[in-house]
Amino acid sequence: MPTKIQIQNLRKVYDTPERKVHALENVNIDIQDGEFICLVGLSGCGKTTLLNILAGFVEITHGDVYMDGKPITEDYDKGVVFQEYALFPWLTAVQNVEYGMKIRNVPPDERKRIAMEFLRLVRLEEFADLFPHSLSGGMRQRVAVARALAFDPQVLLMDEPFGALDAQTREELQDLTVDVWQKTKKTVIYVTHNLAEAVFLGNRVVVFIPNPGRIREILTIDFPRPRDALAPEFIKTQRRINELIRDWK
Amino acid sequence: MAEAQAGPPPLNLDAPHKTPYVSIWMRIRPVYPFLLVIFIWQITAWFLHDLMGDLFPYFGSILFRGWELITGPLVKAMGVDVDTGFLTQLYAIIFKNPLGFIDQLKYLSDSPLLWHTLSTAWRLPFSFMIASVIGVTVGIMMGRFAFWEGFFVPLLSVLLPIPALAWTPIAVIWFGNGDQTVILVTAFASFLPIAMAVWTGVKTINPVWIRAAQSMNADKMTIFRTVVLPGSLPMILSGMRIGLARAWRAGVGAEAFAGIRWGLSAGIFDAQEYLDTAFMMVAIAVLGIFGYLLEKVLFQPIETRTIIKWGMMEEMGGQDKKV
Ligand SMILES: Nc1ncnc2c1ncn2[C@@H]1O[C@H](COP(=O)(O)OP(=O)(O)OP(=O)(O)O)[C@@H](O)[C@H]1O
Ligand SMILES: [Mg+2]
Repeated sequence: MPTKIQIQNLRKVYDTPERKVHALENVNIDIQDGEFICLVGLSGCGKTTLLNILAGFVEITHGDVYMDGKPITEDYDKGVVFQEYALFPWLTAVQNVEYGMKIRNVPPDERKRIAMEFLRLVRLEEFADLFPHSLSGGMRQRVAVARALAFDPQVLLMDEPFGALDAQTREELQDLTVDVWQKTKKTVIYVTHNLAEAVFLGNRVVVFIPNPGRIREILTIDFPRPRDALAPEFIKTQRRINELIRDWK
Repeated sequence: MAEAQAGPPPLNLDAPHKTPYVSIWMRIRPVYPFLLVIFIWQITAWFLHDLMGDLFPYFGSILFRGWELITGPLVKAMGVDVDTGFLTQLYAIIFKNPLGFIDQLKYLSDSPLLWHTLSTAWRLPFSFMIASVIGVTVGIMMGRFAFWEGFFVPLLSVLLPIPALAWTPIAVIWFGNGDQTVILVTAFASFLPIAMAVWTGVKTINPVWIRAAQSMNADKMTIFRTVVLPGSLPMILSGMRIGLARAWRAGVGAEAFAGIRWGLSAGIFDAQEYLDTAFMMVAIAVLGIFGYLLEKVLFQPIETRTIIKWGMMEEMGGQDKKV
């Protein structure tokens, strides 16, 4: 598989009036096309920062990020699912999903049809005409996933998308995410601090350690899918990641 | 032993919406405080009658004055004594009316109350509209461009606490007596809080919405149109609400001092010279009803169709939102 995203010698220092925050140091990752890669690590170790750099929200202090071999630009096609609820409250579920296609001038009929298709994918077609405030938390995140996918982005960036949800809903959405990923073959970069989730979802898991945020190790997870979260090897991998995160001094 | 329940009755989700049942008490509830106040008013008027006479009129006198202000010219034209009672006059108008329909309308349109109301009724919303257009524009400029923010915020912050009434004498000297002065003062007073609120709304919009739009490669103008505007609508509307309230206060003051003949508060200040308290009460009541309707007609429909529907503002409790 070709390399989709190359991160080289990346450093990020936030320059705030109070002090400089060294958020990322010497981060190197090659992300393959169609790969599902999970970023884990303690709070404050720069996971969101890295994702925001990839999304173009945050400037790079030093180093390079290449997309398909070319320096990354702000406006490549990426779908972002945020940790907070980021749906537009003034648009219905289906209008939210249509938004990205509207920006790309997809004709109305066409984009409505595609939006409905993606709502069906997240099993919400019956709720298409509801406004986000009358959807449950899990349903909102499903709409957010549909919105991030609908304009067919090359890369999907997800920042603890299901972190605020209860365990059952989260599991359901994890299954759904794997399902969508297998169907669409997108490159997914997924931030989480839930290790079971990382091992369940990722082809590889990137373990970060803080102060400054840097990579401790990158693990390849090659359990066949669908994965069994209770299998002994699964739990062993989880335990290993836990150790990597915690005793690094 | 009771039989086990067979479960709830079958459910039809496609059934038409039921209009909720509103009991008589629920309908009367917003009225009863008024009845109570009227009752206390009557007792007070009764106690004070010897002392103040018509200066503290009975409620009935106020109602009759209102009636007289509307039908006075018509009754006079019909040759009926204006000092006869309400029922006599009403009976005369309905059953013994020598005048044709057009003539009746003509005399009705001579009603002074009508003219006072009409002139307030166009001047005030007109000023408020000017204030809204300018206020929203300036507020958005402040929210979007650092230059205009730096320019307007200090100015508006100093101007905002100054009561509009304080400007009125200067405005009269500069712009003369007349509508233009009233409109300027009213619009100016109402523009300030609107601009400030819109500015706050644009600045405090949830940044994750902007990022979401950015991540889908929306350009600045599109983000403004499709995210910033709807996202700050709650603040824009609440600013306009405050603006309308300020327009009322300023308008009432300016009308009285700008030497104009027609206008509810101009009428009130005139009536002071004739000690016509009943007229004042009628005009005050019209001001109240008018403001209430303006709010109902203007804001409530917009709000229920937008921010309440979107869950961006809870429906206000109780019966009515007051300006
Ligand atoms: N906008 C910012 N300005 C200044 N410092 C920031 C900013 N965003 C993040 N930081 C700092 O960068 C470091 C990494 O933050 P980041 O949000 O990337 O962590 P994280 O790994 O996502 O943590 P969490 O798991 O809690 O979400 C932290 O020390 C944080 O204080
Ligand atoms: Mg984070």
